[in-house]
Amino acid sequence: MKLKVAGAALAVLAVAATGCGSDSGSDQGSGKTTITFWDNNGGTRTPIYQELIKRFEAANPSIHVEYVGIPISSVQQKYDTAIAGGDTPDVGGVTTSYLANLTGQQALEPADEWLAKSSVNGKLATSMLDSVRKTVPDGKLYLVPNTSNMDVVWYLKDKLQKAPDTWDEFFGSADELTKKPDEYGYTIRGGAGSIFQILAEMYSYSGISEFFDASGKSTVNDPKNVEFLTKMAGLYKKNTPEADVTNDFPKMVAQFGTGKIAMMHHNLGSYNDHVKAHGKDKIGAFALPTGPGGKRTIVANPVDGFAVFKNSEHKEAAWKFVEFLVSHDSNSYWNEQTGQIPANTDAQGDSWLQGLEHLKTAVETLNDPNTQVVSPPYYLPQFSSITKADTEPLFQKVLLGQMTPQEFLDTLAQKLTDAEAEWKKATGG
Amino acid sequence: MSADVMVRTRTRTVSAGTRRRPAKRKDPGRVLRLYIPLGLYLAFTLVPFYWMLVFALRPAGSTDPVPWPITFEHFETVWNDIGYAVFFKNSVIVGVWSLLFTTVIAVMGGYALARYRFRGRNLFMVVLLCTQFIPGAMMLIPLFSIFKSLGLINSLASLIIADTVFNLPLSIILMSGFISAVPFTVEEAAMVDGCTRLRGFLAIVLPQLRPGLIAVGSFAFIHTWNNFLFALMFVSKQDSFTIPVGLSYTIGEYSADFGALAAGGVVAALPVVCVFAVVQRYLVHGISAGAVKG
Amino acid sequence: MTTMRRRAVPYLLISPTVALIAAFLVYPIGSVAYYSLQHRNLTRPWADGFAGLDNFRRMLFEDELFWHSLGFTAKWVIVEVGLQLILGLALALIVNETFIGRGLARSLVFSPWAVSGVLTTGIWILLYTPSTGVLRFLGQPEAAVLGNPDTVFPAVVVAELWRGVPFFAILLLAGLQGIPGELYEAAAVDGAGRVKRFIHVTLPHLRDAIVLATLLRGVWEFNNVDLLYTLTGGGPAQETMTLPLYVAQRAVDSKDFGYGSALTMAGFVILLFCSILYLRLSRFGGDR
Repeated sequence: MKLKVAGAALAVLAVAATGCGSDSGSDQGSGKTTITFWDNNGGTRTPIYQELIKRFEAANPSIHVEYVGIPISSVQQKYDTAIAGGDTPDVGGVTTSYLANLTGQQALEPADEWLAKSSVNGKLATSMLDSVRKTVPDGKLYLVPNTSNMDVVWYLKDKLQKAPDTWDEFFGSADELTKKPDEYGYTIRGGAGSIFQILAEMYSYSGISEFFDASGKSTVNDPKNVEFLTKMAGLYKKNTPEADVTNDFPKMVAQFGTGKIAMMHHNLGSYNDHVKAHGKDKIGAFALPTGPGGKRTIVANPVDGFAVFKNSEHKEAAWKFVEFLVSHDSNSYWNEQTGQIPANTDAQGDSWLQGLEHLKTAVETLNDPNTQVVSPPYYLPQFSSITKADTEPLFQKVLLGQMTPQEFLDTLAQKLTDAEAEWKKATGG
Repeated sequence: MSADVMVRTRTRTVSAGTRRRPAKRKDPGRVLRLYIPLGLYLAFTLVPFYWMLVFALRPAGSTDPVPWPITFEHFETVWNDIGYAVFFKNSVIVGVWSLLFTTVIAVMGGYALARYRFRGRNLFMVVLLCTQFIPGAMMLIPLFSIFKSLGLINSLASLIIADTVFNLPLSIILMSGFISAVPFTVEEAAMVDGCTRLRGFLAIVLPQLRPGLIAVGSFAFIHTWNNFLFALMFVSKQDSFTIPVGLSYTIGEYSADFGALAAGGVVAALPVVCVFAVVQRYLVHGISAGAVKG
Repeated sequence: MTTMRRRAVPYLLISPTVALIAAFLVYPIGSVAYYSLQHRNLTRPWADGFAGLDNFRRMLFEDELFWHSLGFTAKWVIVEVGLQLILGLALALIVNETFIGRGLARSLVFSPWAVSGVLTTGIWILLYTPSTGVLRFLGQPEAAVLGNPDTVFPAVVVAELWRGVPFFAILLLAGLQGIPGELYEAAAVDGAGRVKRFIHVTLPHLRDAIVLATLLRGVWEFNNVDLLYTLTGGGPAQETMTLPLYVAQRAVDSKDFGYGSALTMAGFVILLFCSILYLRLSRFGGDR
């Protein structure tokens, strides 16, 4: 008892010292509603949101939006801590890659009712809405899409004249463009984030259309996928730098930024980094090459958007803010700044988008009826940990020759199959 | 053995004269013993700093080993766009208060450990160590709940407390080491002179403790200044974040701004390095030559 | 009355510490112990519940990575603390000498200590990554030291030394100040050479400081996550995975908090055992 008092005394002292305690509810006198918004990729995107919030507050003088930028590498930990501690924001940036975890903790408010009455109803890309709904067992919309992404290969135009259409051409170019001592045709992402990229490459090569077959077995270790991974791993140190094995995003971009590497697989979101390093004219992008019979298969990227949290005390204002963010103008502004695909279909038709070659290609590819889209099982709460903590180190073993591609894909497939079976049982599906 | 030498040497002290250090003399061994290792170590220390400066000062896209032409664009980015001005202020507040609390409480606890043989002393020591055995990341959620129930979430006070609590155990152990190094006879002499124990401590021991205070104080400050996890987890207010959070903004998926990272790093490191450069001199001038003789 | 009061003094002195630990650490540490006996995994909420010793069984008998990480942790702690002690002591002795520019030299060699984990990592990533690093100016344009299993260990050791050596040097330098100069002179009169004076005067005096610094640093290096997490993430291929790094990966990245807690408790017990053993063996605080 005495101890608690002492602790509290220090707390009081500390508060007095800083002159700032928790000031929730300080807005009550002014009649203003304050809502908190967490940006799930604070930093480079902060200025974008600051501008949008300024516009929103000008249009809605009774609402004040408090922006909080969360560094992307810690965003899941931040959400988990906040949910466990019962201190969630009103609105948060969320992507489908961890949506299942958040809904699993009953943290989010479904958006269906709001959307039905909203002015953006019918304006949001159905593919993205479907993608979000498929992520949760109850099929509700827990995330309002803001943007999506697509895997592309960035290349330097002065090195590579013609974008390869098929994977064979791609491997040919990678080899051709490798020049001793330090010029390489390609760079493999071997560090954090490796698995998603290799999945995207494998499925585009094999053309397999589902992650699980009818019996619920993962298709990841399909012979065609193994064949691809064997080829790709064979590039390591031959057509790619040795440092690739620890390549995470910043390292990979830094390598590519030196101009010694011809091609780099990432997604649309890194456009600004490449422009900064090379200039707008030197940089090009092509969709991942086609598979058997020239068919294009794309692994759906996570959808990034906004969620309203269940504990929000100002849901009305929160929805209003979300509506503003995904409205034509805001959505257009956001995606123009980041170089990604707008969720708002009106924004997809805007002129800036037509001016950005890579984005135009991406939208066309995605809307092409011949493009086959494979959806990774984002609905599996374990998906993110399986494809990151569990198997990223194993992929490094493949590159280092300590594990065969077959063994690696068998392990990955087994984990996914088990997770799928367990999830089906648990959700009664 | 060691005690033996000490006794022997101490008896000779009287006859050994009073000059503390021989005056400078020519010594070729000095170069080998002193300047070469020091030079090598300085290079090891400074190359990384230099590299940070290169990235902070040269334009994006440049790969020169010399930052020329110098640009301050990255500093503008971190100070204006990323909001370092506010982060900096918060870091100073949290760091200074945590330093004060930690040092004061550590002197108290350290004095108890060093000067008293009380029941539970060993247990206390073990408990102090035990608190260091669990990574902070594992304790986030319960700590969060405690701060929430105290109404301190989003307040810098939560960081001050959390950092103080986490700094304390090591600080106390360190401080007890420094206090026991001050001969008890000195204090006794003061008490014989009629000082109370507290006055004796303040007047006699504290000045001799200066190296320890500097070491422990800077330890507390630097740990707090650099704590990323607590700063991000216990605060959900943009204008209450600290510098480590700002640093983490510059590198991540979709942003690989090494220039901004380096510029942010300079902003984060420079003040601490400078302040430390000033106070480090007290690490060595703590004990005046005459004090030991009482 | 006075003896009563005198007896209360040490307890009074430690009371703020005890209060703070009781208020802010007992419950969190207890909760880790509690969760180590629970299944608690955010990605498998349906399987949560009492686990008994299941997590520990899995850890001890099924998890190779646990043993692997333990082995690496031992190697990491011993190498780091050993090198930091030797270099730190050497550095402290050097900057304790009188020479021109000593203050500046001191400030410079100590300065890495003031640099945060995030930043240390950031700087060393820049240095080590071939495309941004310094090695290409040394004629090694393609040396991927962090990607090569043979070089990654020395590389991370050096990076941590950069930040860790000053810690030792500062503590030992402060300790050196407690040695009365007369002792050296007396020893010199006795005809003791530099080495003898170091062994017979300096080392005995620094003993407690060394014991403390190595112990604290050992615990600290054991639990040091930030540097390895960002620099290597435990890679390549789990080559540099320490136990706490593995804990972070399980509990934070994979959200398996129950199992992560069990791993944490294992680290706790190991550290407790080693610390007590170390203090006993070094007879800390004795001889005075």
